[in-house]
Amino acid sequence: MQFVAQTERMTAAPVAGRRRWSRDAVGVILIVAAGVAGYFLFPDSLALLTRIIAVALLVLSLDLIVGYCGVASLGQATLFGAGAYAAGIACVNGVTEPLTLIAIGAVAGAAAGLVMGAIMLRAHGLAQLVLSIAIVQLAHEAANKASAYTGGSDGLAGLFVGPLFGVFEFDLWGQTAYLFGLSLLVAVFIILKFVVSSPFGMLCRGIKEDPIRIRAMGAFVFPVLLKMFVISGAVAGTGGALAAISTQVVGLDSVSFELSANALVMLVLGGLGTLYGALIGTVIFMGFEHVVSAINPFHWMTMVGALLIAVVLAAPGGLSDLLDQISAGKKRNSGGRP
Amino acid sequence: MKATKTLLGVAIGALLMGSVSAMAETVKVGIIGPFSGPFALQGKNFQAGVEAYMALNGKSVEGNDIEVIYRDLPTANPAQARALAQELVVKDKVQYLGGVYFTPDAMAITPLLKQANTPLVIFNAATSAIMNTSPLVARTSFTTAQTTTPLGQVAFDDGVKMAITVVSDYGPGIDAENAFKKAFEAAGGEVVETIRMPMNTTDFSPIMQRVKDSGAGGLFAFLPSGPPTLGFVKAYNETGLKQGNIKFFAPGDLTQESDLPALGEAAEGLRTSFHYSVSHDSPENTKFVEAAGKAIGNPEQLSFPAVGAYDGMHLIYKMIEAADGKQDAQKAIDAVKGLSWTSPRGPVTIDPETRHITQNIYLREVAKGPDGKYYNKKIKTFPNQKDPGLATQ
Repeated sequence: MQFVAQTERMTAAPVAGRRRWSRDAVGVILIVAAGVAGYFLFPDSLALLTRIIAVALLVLSLDLIVGYCGVASLGQATLFGAGAYAAGIACVNGVTEPLTLIAIGAVAGAAAGLVMGAIMLRAHGLAQLVLSIAIVQLAHEAANKASAYTGGSDGLAGLFVGPLFGVFEFDLWGQTAYLFGLSLLVAVFIILKFVVSSPFGMLCRGIKEDPIRIRAMGAFVFPVLLKMFVISGAVAGTGGALAAISTQVVGLDSVSFELSANALVMLVLGGLGTLYGALIGTVIFMGFEHVVSAINPFHWMTMVGALLIAVVLAAPGGLSDLLDQISAGKKRNSGGRP
Repeated sequence: MKATKTLLGVAIGALLMGSVSAMAETVKVGIIGPFSGPFALQGKNFQAGVEAYMALNGKSVEGNDIEVIYRDLPTANPAQARALAQELVVKDKVQYLGGVYFTPDAMAITPLLKQANTPLVIFNAATSAIMNTSPLVARTSFTTAQTTTPLGQVAFDDGVKMAITVVSDYGPGIDAENAFKKAFEAAGGEVVETIRMPMNTTDFSPIMQRVKDSGAGGLFAFLPSGPPTLGFVKAYNETGLKQGNIKFFAPGDLTQESDLPALGEAAEGLRTSFHYSVSHDSPENTKFVEAAGKAIGNPEQLSFPAVGAYDGMHLIYKMIEAADGKQDAQKAIDAVKGLSWTSPRGPVTIDPETRHITQNIYLREVAKGPDGKYYNKKIKTFPNQKDPGLATQ
């Protein structure tokens, strides 16, 4: 996991606690401001923005295990899909309260994370990566086969979600879905900031740096990583459930290798191990994709490829790293490792 | 003399148009299809059908200018489909939605239609059940059950008493299997074995062996069009099934015109049933093939999605006419219920109950034309076939 280690930045520990809190408070305020700005600037594209939020949750969940634990995965959509299908199936069977559906998605994602983690953590390095691909392919095929429950390749349609708090309808214009998604994202982000800066989060980073040393210190590696997998699953499942609620349909693409790979691309684009990078990467990637595919629906993929190459060459640490370098280049040197 | 007359006509026409369009509005039509990625050829066919229709029938209806907006959806992705449809309606203010290649995408869009006050005309997505999901959707393509069902009787009449079905293991494949089984058994035959292959199967010889061992006299097959078809047909030839007199039946997806150059000789003699052949002999089709061939660039790439799009545009034009350029989905959809016209594929009607297209299904055989190119030669017509899939569900 050399490439992961290279992009790591351990600024948190040496920086004084209070400063870190104020930095994160500013970060959260910026996210809320960007979200609200999006609401007013693009009132006609809220469906796309909601989709971006759902995928952002997936990318955040991937950052937890790739960026913080050093476990590379190309199968993260398994957890996203588990949440989406669980919420979808529950909805078809009469559970229409949006918050309950999100909770169902999160629980299903966490359960899938437990299983996936238990399998993936048996292996290391490339074998682990291959396992993750195998798991997402198996999950994809399982969802395809179980068409009585999932709708198979036709997709699970007919989700009728009740109004939020009994008042706000999930309608064509998508205001409810967007604001609901945005609040969900902010809440999850704040919780995750606490998680990654807790002793547990630090332990994960430590394992990523040097698992043998952590073991020598007397900590158990496997349960710690498994715990992170479960948290990651809950976050991805929340994203899946949000996608299911806002689009009112669940397709096989939500448990696909393509989505998993795209999530990893977005994460690398934004930068690993900061949580901010996951958000920046998702917004830039999906926004760019949307704009160029509308301008030229026939040859837009070339443009996306060019963007990726440009970013990887110009900012190997991802866009958030580039921003950090510009805004606070001097602090980087003092970062050191704990 | 003739030239000046035409010129004058054009000038007057332009003048009239100018004065009318001053008060009429621009009607926007949003077309969603796979314009890039592995299914880009199908998207190109959508575009060719739309452009051919507009080239032959003008870019305005009773003074209402028509503007087409294309949106790319490379693979089946319902969430993206919904987001695109939502944006077309909310942001681009389209009055009509069209296109849609894959069933899951159509299923994701239909729940929006009522609130959006927008009809959807499906150019391809071929699962029967879509039509039940919204009263504002109409379809100008076909369903797998519709194109497959006549084959049951054909196979039985051809002396096949026992048949085996081999299909790709996904929605349309299973639809095809069920439709054939039902029709063949209704005719008096027996399906001795049903094989479902994984989607990514590339080596078909073991399957051909099972076909041989089953003792069936006829083989019914369904695979998604494209490269797998090629391998399947080759295996059918090379394992001696063709010589062994096991008869081959399939819906026309397997021998679509854009695949025929690659299939070549291997496909010769294959019998398929479908709603449209590019070689269909009628003045309407000649006109269509010429215009669509020009729009797509390479006429060899022309295939059935183009005719779905062409007829889809016909419906949309009729809808715009009925609603007089205003946004009134119910009025628009009511206007096309029971509408009959002569399409490039033959006489068609929009069934007023299901809003699916009623059409002739043709039994064809791949043959070599006088120009040395392979084409689907029509051997029998089954007139006015409705969608049996909706009745069986």
